[in-house]
Amino acid sequence: MGSGGPTRRSDSLADVVEMLLDKGVVINADIAVTIGETELLGIQLRAAIASFETAAQYGLEFPEGTDMERVREVSGRSAHLEPLDAASGGDEDGDEGEGEDDRDRAEIAVAAPVDGPTVTDPEVDEDADPEVDEDDGSEAADGDGSGVEDAESDSGEGGGSDSADETSEASEEGEVSEEGDDDDD
Amino acid sequence: MTDLDEGRYLYCVVRLDEGAEPEFSATGVDGEPVSVVAADGLGAVVHPCEALYDSDAPAEIKRWLLRHQEVVDEAGEAFGTPLPFQFDTILKGGDDRVREWLREESETFRTHLDALAGHWEYRIEVARDEEAAAEAVVEGDAELRELRDRVDEASEGTRFLLEKQYERQLRRELRARREAQAGSLADRLRPHVRELHDLGERRSTGLDVGEASDAEPFARFAALATDEGADALGDVLESIAAEPGVEVRFTGPWPPYTFTPDLGEDARGTNA
Repeated sequence: MGSGGPTRRSDSLADVVEMLLDKGVVINADIAVTIGETELLGIQLRAAIASFETAAQYGLEFPEGTDMERVREVSGRSAHLEPLDAASGGDEDGDEGEGEDDRDRAEIAVAAPVDGPTVTDPEVDEDADPEVDEDDGSEAADGDGSGVEDAESDSGEGGGSDSADETSEASEEGEVSEEGDDDDD
Repeated sequence: MTDLDEGRYLYCVVRLDEGAEPEFSATGVDGEPVSVVAADGLGAVVHPCEALYDSDAPAEIKRWLLRHQEVVDEAGEAFGTPLPFQFDTILKGGDDRVREWLREESETFRTHLDALAGHWEYRIEVARDEEAAAEAVVEGDAELRELRDRVDEASEGTRFLLEKQYERQLRRELRARREAQAGSLADRLRPHVRELHDLGERRSTGLDVGEASDAEPFARFAALATDEGADALGDVLESIAAEPGVEVRFTGPWPPYTFTPDLGEDARGTNA
């Protein structure tokens, strides 16, 4: 990055998403509106959050009647993830339950359809690819309610043709080196 | 979905100057008018609303989140470090009920607002070139080098097994190196912050709106720091970013989302 000071650039969206949805004061009192016991977030919104950790906390499930086939089709991801689980699951130390996690993650991530890899790619230079534009939300915003189109137009510029292979690599690496010691606190 | 007759969407709670009526207005989520409901020297930054915000369209959620953040930023500018609430926190009842709640909780709010005053949250992510890291590990590990040579010389039958062994060992070494580096990174940051929270290597929450192109970080922290602390952090991070193959992301100042208290029982365990 080079400059010493902190920034609030367009790529800070990731921080905003995590802080606003996963942190911040949570009220568990009669005064707060809740769905169920302590779930404050709307159900559709929770499904659109591409996170298995958060999903697990909330016991997230897809809404009744979600067309999982369609979801897989749109995402194009599960096909890569599942064989990988099988292939690499045997040679890991201390990775119990990872396969499950990955499957959950895949399903949740696809609630917000994209055509590029959702697993982040360690090789991509974030500065070279500033595809998160603060303004693009507003143009897609009103009226059509089509999450699919919005998501595709957002990620289209960045999703390379080699996305499939990179997704595989990234998810394998991620699984290998990052699970298991993710626990906060 | 949960509809209510009268609700108040809550952005944050702030400390008000004694006596003065707060003058604050902002445009909230979905264009709603934001105001401050005051009681007991505290202000709740709210807008009137009738239902939870819920959508399955990432672009819409993103717009809401950014708007929400904007409002909390403006409140922070006007009133100092706010106590920020989770997105979609809605209070039942109108302004009177909100005032009542502020009074009920005033001691808690004061304690936390005082503790956080003058501090903001900063987010730090350090990513590194995984290939370079792997090379460095192999170069520094005689056993791995030998194993690699054996792979090169092996016949087809044994090669597969040797390769597996090599990869497994390399991954183990990489993980150890990663942990050591993250640990020493934390040691270098800690003197400049009041609190340092390890966020793990992966984002807990994401939204598929094209943000996923970031390099995979190997260490992520949330830091609670003063302005001076943030300057010092910047200097440390600059020297870290100067190391080959290392990339640093340093964002803020943010409201102290990660350093908020749990209110009430059974609060979700993830809040620091």
